[in-house]
Amino acid sequence: MSLTQKGRWITVVALVCLAAVYVRALAFTPVERLQGPAQKIFYLHVPAAIWTETAMILVGLAGIFYLFLKDPRLDRFAEASAEVGTVFATIVLTTGPIWGKPIWGTWWTWDARLTSTLLLFFLYVGYLLVRGAVRDPVLRARYAAVLGICGMCLVPFIHMSVFLFRTLHPQPIILKPSAPSLPSSMLVTWLFSLAAFTLLYVGFVTQRYALSLVRDAHGGARPGHV
Amino acid sequence: MGLAPAMSDVPQNAGYMVAAYVVTAVILVVYAVSLYRRTNTP
Repeated sequence: MSLTQKGRWITVVALVCLAAVYVRALAFTPVERLQGPAQKIFYLHVPAAIWTETAMILVGLAGIFYLFLKDPRLDRFAEASAEVGTVFATIVLTTGPIWGKPIWGTWWTWDARLTSTLLLFFLYVGYLLVRGAVRDPVLRARYAAVLGICGMCLVPFIHMSVFLFRTLHPQPIILKPSAPSLPSSMLVTWLFSLAAFTLLYVGFVTQRYALSLVRDAHGGARPGHV
Repeated sequence: MGLAPAMSDVPQNAGYMVAAYVVTAVILVVYAVSLYRRTNTP
C-alpha cells in the first residue's frame, strides 16, 4: 500500500470517527445549563485549536532540525503540517466567533487570545506564501524553517495569554494543572473528538507528505502544473 | 419551583451550534476532497 493510500484510509477512518463524535455530541451529551446548545461547539473548537498549535510546534521543530541536518524529509513534513495547521486554524477562527456571538454578545474582540490566534493564522498563510514564492528549494526550505520557528515561539504565548492578560476568552478547563472542570460525559465526548482530530491530522499530513514526494520526483514542479 | 432550572432558563441558541458543526464539516470535507484530487492528478 502506497503512502497516499495509507493517508486516504486514515482520513476515511478519521472522518467516520468525527461523524460518530457529531452523533455523540449532538444527541448523547447533556446541554450545559448556562450556555445552552452553543456550548457544544466546544467539542470541535478546542480539539481544532490544540492541533492548530501542535501543528505549528511540529513545523518549528522540523525547521530547527532541518537547519542542522538539511534532510528534505523534515522540510516536506513541515510543509505538510503547516498546510493542515492552516485548515485547523480556519476551523478555530470560524467556530470561535460563532460560539462567541451568543455567549459574549459579539462575534469578535481584540483580546490577547483571539488576536494572537489570528496572528498564528497569518503566520501559517505567510509560511505557505513564502513556500510558493521561492523557487530555489534550498532557500525555500531555509526561509520556511525560520518562519516555522517564529510560529512555534508564538504558541506558548497564545496558551498563556489568558493568564497574562485580562481577556474575554475563558481560561482552559482541560489543559490546566488541576483536574478538568467537566462532567465525565462531556469529557469523554471531548476526548473522543480529540482522538478524531488527531487521526485527521495524521491522515491529512500523510497524504500531503506523499504529494510533496511526487512533486519532488517531478523536479519541484507540482503535478498537473508542469 | 425549587432550585432546579426550568427548561426555559436554558438559552435557545441551537442555531449557532448547528452553524459551527456544518462549517467544520464543510471545511474538512473540502480539504479532504482537495487532497484527493491533488494526489490523483497524473
